[in-house]
Amino acid sequence: MDDLISEFIAETRESLEELDQDLVNLEQNPNDHDLLSKIFRLKHTIKGTCGFLGLPRLEKVAHHAENVLGRFRDGDLEVTPEYVTLIFESIDTIKGIIDVIAETGSEPAGDDSALIRKLDEVYESDGSSPAPAPAEEAEAPKPAAEMSDDEKAAQIDRELAEAFGEPVMAADAAASPPPEEAPTPTPAPAAEVKAENAPQQTGTPIAEQQSLRVNVDVLEDLMTMVSELVLTRNQLLQILRIQSESDFNTPLQRLNQVVSELQEGVMKTRMQPIGNAWAKLPRIIRDLSMELGKKIDLVMLGKDTELDRQVLELIKDPLTHMVRNSGDHGIEDPATRKAAGKPETGTITLNAFHEGGHIIITIKDDGKGLPLEKIKQKILDNGMATPEELAQMSTQQINQFIFRAGFSTAEKVTSVSGRGVGMDVVRTNIEKIGGSIELNSVEGKGSTFTIKIPLTLAIVSALVVAASGERFAIPQIGVRELVMTSEDSDNKIETIKGAPVFRLRERLLPLVSLTDLLKLKIPAMADVEQDDLAAEEKAARNKYIVVTQVGSYEFGIIVDRVYDTEEIVVKPVPSILRDLELFSGNTILGDGSVIMILDPNGIAKATGEIEASADAHATQQQEVAHSESGDKISLLLFRGGGRAPKAVPLSLVARLENIDMSKIEHSNDQAMVQYRGQLMPLLTMHPSIDLNTGAGEMPVLVFNAEDNKSMGLVVEEIIDITEEYIDVQIEGNHSGSLGSAIIDGKATDVVDVGYFLQSSNKDWFKNHGDEPFASANDAEPQTTNGSGRKAQSGKRRVLLVDDSAFFRNMLTPLLGVAGYQVTTLESPVEALKLCEKGEEFDVIVSDIEMPDMDGFEFAEKVKAQSNWQDTPMVALSSHATPQDIDRGMTVGFSKYVAKFDRDTLLSTLSQTLSEKRTAKQ
Amino acid sequence: MKTCLIVDDSRVVRKVARRIAEELGFECLEAEDGQKACEACAIAMPDVVLLDWNMPVMSGIEFLEELRKMEGGDHPKVVLCTTENDMAHILRAMEAGANEYIMKPFDNEIIESKFRQIGLI
Repeated sequence: MDDLISEFIAETRESLEELDQDLVNLEQNPNDHDLLSKIFRLKHTIKGTCGFLGLPRLEKVAHHAENVLGRFRDGDLEVTPEYVTLIFESIDTIKGIIDVIAETGSEPAGDDSALIRKLDEVYESDGSSPAPAPAEEAEAPKPAAEMSDDEKAAQIDRELAEAFGEPVMAADAAASPPPEEAPTPTPAPAAEVKAENAPQQTGTPIAEQQSLRVNVDVLEDLMTMVSELVLTRNQLLQILRIQSESDFNTPLQRLNQVVSELQEGVMKTRMQPIGNAWAKLPRIIRDLSMELGKKIDLVMLGKDTELDRQVLELIKDPLTHMVRNSGDHGIEDPATRKAAGKPETGTITLNAFHEGGHIIITIKDDGKGLPLEKIKQKILDNGMATPEELAQMSTQQINQFIFRAGFSTAEKVTSVSGRGVGMDVVRTNIEKIGGSIELNSVEGKGSTFTIKIPLTLAIVSALVVAASGERFAIPQIGVRELVMTSEDSDNKIETIKGAPVFRLRERLLPLVSLTDLLKLKIPAMADVEQDDLAAEEKAARNKYIVVTQVGSYEFGIIVDRVYDTEEIVVKPVPSILRDLELFSGNTILGDGSVIMILDPNGIAKATGEIEASADAHATQQQEVAHSESGDKISLLLFRGGGRAPKAVPLSLVARLENIDMSKIEHSNDQAMVQYRGQLMPLLTMHPSIDLNTGAGEMPVLVFNAEDNKSMGLVVEEIIDITEEYIDVQIEGNHSGSLGSAIIDGKATDVVDVGYFLQSSNKDWFKNHGDEPFASANDAEPQTTNGSGRKAQSGKRRVLLVDDSAFFRNMLTPLLGVAGYQVTTLESPVEALKLCEKGEEFDVIVSDIEMPDMDGFEFAEKVKAQSNWQDTPMVALSSHATPQDIDRGMTVGFSKYVAKFDRDTLLSTLSQTLSEKRTAKQ
Repeated sequence: MKTCLIVDDSRVVRKVARRIAEELGFECLEAEDGQKACEACAIAMPDVVLLDWNMPVMSGIEFLEELRKMEGGDHPKVVLCTTENDMAHILRAMEAGANEYIMKPFDNEIIESKFRQIGLI
């Protein structure tokens, strides 16, 4: 009887899936008699079949649920949401039992009497005045419940209930509020839902029409064999292309055709309507709206759109997750919606359709859209971008951040979402099958997710390209267009700061050269045969750009040649290469050669993804949230008078500008220029730069600090941007220089930006109040200026916690030069994580004003944790009142230093450290 | 060899019935609803019909009424297969021309004895 059981499981699961959907429809159209009959029959069939297989527990649940459904069908019990919930409960119980049977082959032991009692109470309730499902501990007499266990006791049950139960039920009914009115959706969506469901209600399920059940493995094998056949066909066609006159011509043409049809046919056997993946959604949305007290309509369009069952399986979970998200986060509660002038009932629209070999699925809701400000805040909190980068991003680009790992905007964790599995998982899953996901959101209006996935995973259409003599396949799904470039025409590849770009219709398209990316040329060879290569390059002046899109990020891949598009069979990457994100697989071409399939997602990742598209400037401003002074940092090299080139951390430079010398004005002996509606002081590093020439243009490095204040450093020439370790060899001997380091093989002055900022604008930190600091210093008379700089030969470890990237960047080189090893973090939360990891520091310098957790709280936490209990802490603040200072001392800071008082900071640090040493001894 | 038409919307029930009927020496045909059963009967009348009551598209009783109107439709013996929820309908079915009824779940002994009673074996 084993095959009967498996048949039964398959059949029952199909029925249950239909039931889920039908019940949701029923709730909306409680008077649909056909629907009622169908639901009743499905349950009836389940029950009827159970009897043959000896599944008494299942049979009993189905039986009692059927009884209730029978009353709905006969019209003597009104369908209310409470009742439907109860039926759902019984379906869930049945599903649970079925799952166990599927696994173990026999029915699990268990007690369903609570559920059965509830079902019976509804069944026995007075139909003329339907009561909501009574509470669990209803006073229905025990005998009724027990008798109901008997298979044929339905009739008796009813009599018993009438004898004992009815008075109670009637009282209940009288006391309880009238049942909630059946939700009447707005006419338009209702009509839509109906139209969509119509075929399902009248027609028989597709599976039962002249169908044959085939094991999935058989289909998979068939697909593999057809794939091989396609490859062989391609090889034959390739041979034929070379020998134009051949006897094989006609039969090969025929073979070609047949193979194509066969491929199509086998693909079709694997196709399933996307509706299968959606079957559970109405139920989920219904439960969600009940739980959250929202009103949500789910409209599903294009249910019959077919796609490969493998793809279907893979997108099922992401889809469910996203629809859930839309319901949970997107749609507002009725009151909010009403206040916003929207209909109380929110609508989630699912749509699926074919578009050029792909399936497009959109999930649209008319809810509140994504909270842009919150996302921005979160981006900053997580250190995913700097405020400057953020300012340059479009709304679309900012929204894409929700697909990053560890990103969730849900304020509270509901039982539904916000449990840590976020959109990043969705994106990963979709990208895994070669798809892409995009998001469009208008705050207050709603969001639309657009998923683009290939029809099938086994055979894809790909563009074959070549770079440095190697061929590669790029899946067509990512390819937007092809552009031919030529050195001799306007269509040429330009370089901005060493990065290749292309002007495509007035837009700068970031480029990546496949040759460079994959390092297809061996550098040593390039040196030796430079002349040869140069000649070769000249010959190959025409390069092609494959414009590729990943999500909303568009970039170009530079290749040497573009061949044809070909239907390729995707072979998975061998496990040894699986870590290489640049490739998604390999394939065999018609000529028998094996080539790699490029993964546009991987290439985008390798080139820096969103950052790259923001702006050429932004690319170079990647913030390193957790950088030690030992790390490489980006430096801007320039000439600013004097012999040695100068360097400044690029992250401090806000902009590079050219300033017209004739526009320079003077006030109070200070050169100024009007810049962005404000007066910006101008400085030079060396007297040899004359600001009074009155003609020509000079490059200026613009530094920004808080409060929109900026300062311009006029220089002679900007040399380059480089990434280097700053290893100051000789300490600075004049103000304005931190010291000399070897950068790019040359002795270079590392500029102390802080000095210039301060000297350019005496009241730069006016708001931040110098007074309290003075008093702070007075309170610490033992503070000695400048002493003990670099006292230790072994590097002291300093942890610097400050939410402002500006100060982090400014203080890091300063402290580094002073001989400290600096670790910077932008939030106390991260610092505490480091503490837990067991990292140790000699001293902690912390800002006070920080979001999430301020410096006081941080100090309290640090002092409470054993690891860092003894680590001295220095508070860094831009404005402090005596109360603040008191509080700082109370929570455990040993010193309070003004943010901009660098000398005091250094002396305080060395002093604190020596105190600590003394204390230890 | 006598023929038996099994009409039921559940594949499992049809499979069970087929096994029993085949064991009793019948050649079996299946139909998943009344409509399909009608089509089958139009091609060749079976000797016996094992008929479910509650089916989509066309129910057992509708099929029965239709069958008896067809040419040669009085030939097949019709055995109605019901559950206790269908009890009230048995009388109606008998009036419409059913020869016997059995309760689900049935087994080979019940079917054999019913078939014997109506003179099929």
